[in-house]
Amino acid sequence: MASTRDITRRIKSVKNTKKVTKAMELVSAAKMRKAVEAVLKTRSYANLSWLTVINLAKIAQKDNGLHELLNQRREVKKIGIILITSNRGLCGGFNANIINKAVNDPALTPGDPAVLRDGAGLSLLRGGEKPEVEFVILGKKGAAAHRRFGFNLAAEFAKPDVVTQVAEVLPVAKMIIKDYLAGKYDKIMLAYTDFVSTIKQAPRVKQLLPINLSEADERLGTVGKGDEAGKAKEIIAQKQEKYFAGQEYIFEPNPREVLNEMIPRLLEIQMFQALLESNASEHSARMVAMRNASDAADDMVDDLTLYYNKARQANITREIAEVVGGAQALQR
Amino acid sequence: MSTIHFEIVTPEKVVLKEEVLQLTVPTKMGEITILPHHIPLVASLIPGVIEVKKTNNELETVALSGGFIEVLPTKVVILADTAERAADIDEARAEEARQRAEKLMTEKREEVDFSAVQAKIAKELARVKAVRRHRNRHIIKTD
Repeated sequence: MASTRDITRRIKSVKNTKKVTKAMELVSAAKMRKAVEAVLKTRSYANLSWLTVINLAKIAQKDNGLHELLNQRREVKKIGIILITSNRGLCGGFNANIINKAVNDPALTPGDPAVLRDGAGLSLLRGGEKPEVEFVILGKKGAAAHRRFGFNLAAEFAKPDVVTQVAEVLPVAKMIIKDYLAGKYDKIMLAYTDFVSTIKQAPRVKQLLPINLSEADERLGTVGKGDEAGKAKEIIAQKQEKYFAGQEYIFEPNPREVLNEMIPRLLEIQMFQALLESNASEHSARMVAMRNASDAADDMVDDLTLYYNKARQANITREIAEVVGGAQALQR
Repeated sequence: MSTIHFEIVTPEKVVLKEEVLQLTVPTKMGEITILPHHIPLVASLIPGVIEVKKTNNELETVALSGGFIEVLPTKVVILADTAERAADIDEARAEEARQRAEKLMTEKREEVDFSAVQAKIAKELARVKAVRRHRNRHIIKTD
């Protein structure tokens, strides 16, 4: 059995670790509160604006000249994935989850039955060849997509820890939209983590461009919906039937001018919302991970204290036995 | 009497969500008024004042700094950059903010981002206008 001194040393070190994890838990909790507040504020805006985009895309199906960003696309040769991760570790499975989800996305592996359901994936399947994939990463940990899975990184953007303004996603959004229009990418996916609750976060890969209209796509419109994903789908279907019986829109002053301004802005909002969701998820994941660590440290201290007491007791018993033994030896 | 299901949302919050009789919004082409059964429309909005007639015939004024309107057969959504109900704006402070913004325009020409300042002036002006209209409405009522 280890000496009592060794055990006290270990207890001390575990207690110190606990202090650190406890402090990190508190910091994350504070950041989480802010992030969650921000996420909830923008959700209705993001959802409503996405519905608008879908409506417009429906119209564009009939009238292909409406706007380039609304058109359904050609063959998919190259996919751009925007991957949102954290800058720092110690947040449980947060980064691993989203990266795995992104690299295992059915859209990246042709031949998978899931691709069949995906409207845009059809042409890809017929071509029979694997589309090229490039990652645009937001957050330092996303580099793992390259290191572990060998995907190309097109760009890396610094991710602010606390996001408050849409302006913070503008560089990414501008670049992606430009590249898409220039034909560099045929499909843009957005990999982020949906904030469902403090203890539950759902990694999700959403198709951003071309705008996905296929029924089977559960990603559609679920930004910010979390557990209500199913409900969101219903609402969308309902809205399309009830509110929008295939009528034409009037655009003022004219379609081009309105859409040139509107579509990029609404896409930015989607990215912004995804970033907010990811941030809220990151901070909650970290808080939970740190709380677990603190709890584990507590358990460990308890166990070690028990060992310590046993060792101490054993020592005392041994010493008494020695003293008694010595005394008896002298008497004889 | 038919009503419009009307919503104003900004990235910050849902500013207004209720059944209304009619609404007037400032679009790029000028002010338009939307009544129930309006045909689907999408338009971009400029900074200005939105006037909403509620079901109890009361007028609600909202200051808007730009955005989009989407009119659907049974629903109208305004996706605003920022929007504030006139009742929530403090006029003195709005006026102050407007003057500050204008001062910024005249001072230190080389350092300021012109378009940003211009947008700010337009926004503050809209707020001041909204408050004034809101207040005038009260005066007419009490007469």
